[in-house]
Amino acid sequence: MAYILTHAEFDTVLQRLKQDYILIGPVRKKNKGKFSDADLITYGQIESLSDLETNGKSQFSAKETIFPPSQTLFYFTEDEYREPKFEPQKRIVFLRACDFNAIKRLDLLFLENGQFVDAYYKRLREKTHFFVFGCEKSYENCFCVSTGTNQCEGYDAFLNFKGEKINLFPSEPFKRYFAGYEENEDILPQFIERNHIQVDIPEGLSTKIYDHPYWDQYGKRCIGCGRCNFSCPTCTCFTMQDIFYRDNKNAGERRRVWASCQVDGFTDMAGGHSYRKQQGERMRFKVMHKIHDFAKRFNMHMCVGCGRCDDVCPEYISFSQCISGLKGVVAHDN
Amino acid sequence: MITNPYLPQPAEIISITKETTTDYTFRLKTDIQPDFGQFVEVSIPKVGEAPISVSNAQPGWIELTIRRVGHLTNELHELKPGDLLFIRGPYGKGFPKEQYRDKSLIIAAGGTGLAPVRNLINYYYQHPGEVRQLSLLMGFKTPEDILFKEDIEKWRSKFQVLLTVDKESPGWSGHVGLITNFVKDAVGENSSASRVIIVGPPLMMKFTSQEFIKYNIPEENIWLSFERKMCCGIGKCGHCRINDTYVCLEGPVFPYITAKNLLD
Amino acid sequence: MSVDTKKIKKNAYRVTKTRGKTCLRVRVPGGHLPSQYLEIIKEIADKFGNGTVHLTTRQGFEIPGIDFSSIEMINQLISPMIVGLEKEIGVPLANGFDKGYPAAGTRNVSACIGNRVCTMANCDTTALAQKIERTIFPNDFHVKIAVTGCPNDCIKAHMQDIGVIAQVEPLYDETRCISCKACVKNCQKVATGALTMGNYKVERDPHRCLGCGECILKCPNAAWTRGNKFYRLVIMGRTGKRNPRLAQTFVQWASEDVVLGVIKNMYKYIDKHIDRTLEKEHVGYIFDRTGYNEFKNVVLEGIQLNPEIRIATFINFHGSIYDSQIIFENVTKA
Repeated sequence: MAYILTHAEFDTVLQRLKQDYILIGPVRKKNKGKFSDADLITYGQIESLSDLETNGKSQFSAKETIFPPSQTLFYFTEDEYREPKFEPQKRIVFLRACDFNAIKRLDLLFLENGQFVDAYYKRLREKTHFFVFGCEKSYENCFCVSTGTNQCEGYDAFLNFKGEKINLFPSEPFKRYFAGYEENEDILPQFIERNHIQVDIPEGLSTKIYDHPYWDQYGKRCIGCGRCNFSCPTCTCFTMQDIFYRDNKNAGERRRVWASCQVDGFTDMAGGHSYRKQQGERMRFKVMHKIHDFAKRFNMHMCVGCGRCDDVCPEYISFSQCISGLKGVVAHDN
Repeated sequence: MITNPYLPQPAEIISITKETTTDYTFRLKTDIQPDFGQFVEVSIPKVGEAPISVSNAQPGWIELTIRRVGHLTNELHELKPGDLLFIRGPYGKGFPKEQYRDKSLIIAAGGTGLAPVRNLINYYYQHPGEVRQLSLLMGFKTPEDILFKEDIEKWRSKFQVLLTVDKESPGWSGHVGLITNFVKDAVGENSSASRVIIVGPPLMMKFTSQEFIKYNIPEENIWLSFERKMCCGIGKCGHCRINDTYVCLEGPVFPYITAKNLLD
Repeated sequence: MSVDTKKIKKNAYRVTKTRGKTCLRVRVPGGHLPSQYLEIIKEIADKFGNGTVHLTTRQGFEIPGIDFSSIEMINQLISPMIVGLEKEIGVPLANGFDKGYPAAGTRNVSACIGNRVCTMANCDTTALAQKIERTIFPNDFHVKIAVTGCPNDCIKAHMQDIGVIAQVEPLYDETRCISCKACVKNCQKVATGALTMGNYKVERDPHRCLGCGECILKCPNAAWTRGNKFYRLVIMGRTGKRNPRLAQTFVQWASEDVVLGVIKNMYKYIDKHIDRTLEKEHVGYIFDRTGYNEFKNVVLEGIQLNPEIRIATFINFHGSIYDSQIIFENVTKA
């Protein structure tokens, strides 16, 4: 069941949705790229369809819409704690299938790992609806087909951009916003079916490969900047920070910020001890989590094949090539 | 309304015991009733939060033994009885006490590693019939670093206690040498039936485990307690993860057979 | 043989060591040119010169070994290049484009490779050099101008009469900052130490900030992004027999309009104060006579200053002086 709308017609639907929701999606920020006169595609609020950047992969993923890079957990006054007054508005987030599949990974961690639910995540998550848009083409470094995350279900709506027209597959609760338009029954959602890169995640990984010299190359190449983690739609690590305000030492806040297992300090304990001091070890830690450890715990691979870690690496380290190389290592060693 | 697991509760400091110049034990008024070997997240608002193992507990209070090693712990050491600390927890899996029932138990603790097992030792002090025999093997860097001196003297009356220091100082007449040197003495006869708990710095745990195994303690009879950076204590922040294991959830106490595969 | 040397010099030819032979100087404003023009250079060098080409320090070409009698022919041959590199960028040439270069006093406006290629550059230096060329060429006054994309100053803007150093205003979004300190450490190591950490966030001292953009390049999470482009002008740098010296900062955080206006006004300043008894006089020596305040008054006249601009209150030149008579009285004379 699909609606086939023109861009103008869909814009009308968006204006209706805006009565009830904030719209968030990838936007192109002119000249905000790292390099001069280069653009940055990242998540931001959109007012109309023209704001939505569907041509090009965003540098950062949709995860920041429900897990912000910096989030205040408490405000302090004297010896009192107060949670921020936080009643998020209902939102619709536009995202690609890989990122939508990544949200499932975030859910597993924040809502299901351990006995506690992460209240801050849940509050934003409950208010968020997802409109997934199909990829018209596979971008550089994408390998979502290999990770099986090119397809998805459970979205609030699915969109296929088809030149002048858009094929729209809203879920039941959202159909009322399409009132006045006709539903065509012959069309199904279309997912990207091929990437330029194919990755074969090796079976039989174990701690046996931890000491393999394979990781040494990354020790030499990686500069530990953390870009791969921050752009990753499935990385969820964070660090707590307590501060007091400079103009009032009796008041302050506790917040959490994104953390990177590649950046110095990730395992530092008071007293000076730390683990995984070499970048090669950190790369191994990250890679194993994405394609082995997470799945052992949650029965699905963490990596969704978006390839952003490759896109952003200043040292041209390729995650997909690392996995492919690992396959060779495992095959040779077994 | 969602309950917020990050919300700490105020806890008044009842008393502070200066174990050494750098290690203070804080007794806090709280209803928290931790298992042996569990930890709590302790914070001073505006300064920071850290995981600290419970070093003693009774209904109505817990004790935390905290070494002054950084920003938060420096501030902690400035506090006085009557001041408030903030805690949440208890978290993690502690020692499987039922597995030690009627067994010979050896507890090897290095330095501040004695804190997480002190509560358990005190429990056995009060319930000496619960284990067949308890041997304590404790090592500190110097005599000045020895924690819980009064407890140790008390423990001597009921348990076999072997206290050693890495480096002696004038007036010390006890054992000198690393814990590993005394493992053989602690094990004694009939080792394969003994249970062993080892807590201390990573290298100490590694070499002490090897030593116990060398003297025929089966791997499955050994438990360790890990220490890691933890920002949440509840399996979210990711800092303590090793492989597919969250130390804050599945640990900090691990059977050796699990711990030996937790490679960083 | 009769040659009007003044005339041929103005036409960008020179008197050379070899009697009867001249040498053509070809301008390449901004130092970046379509490769097709290299064929013209080659043709002139092969057919009329000695088969060699010299690459000048100012990013032009000099084609030596040309007979004075070939000048007219060569002016025809070079005309597509003058059209392409001068007319096309808006340089007005009153006498047409087939009579060779109309002036040679104001030298080629050179530029580093800029943001068309370099990751560190804060602007398209070639494009700006072309705008400057269009503003000042043709002109007989002996002036050297260069544009560089960042304070690394690869083009040696500090050796020019006016050096333009591109700046970027770094914008900080503390909600994206995850306290990795990459920018702070880097600024302290490679720039001016304008960044410090406070309460886990970055503080920037605007008076120490050079506008180099390193913080933006190093930020893994786009907490630092690019704001507006600005320029620092360094003035009166020179080499030469009298007292070579590095240029000093005249204005910083200036807009492009201010840059072009100041450069244009500098020609009025030269016209007003040049010593016409000399064959030529470099602007730096005029500056030494009139002092900074007169220079400042004339070049800023009628210019709409952007609000961010900062103007030097005084400039005190240092540098080696080879002729000790300039600073020591000759006591033996009496």
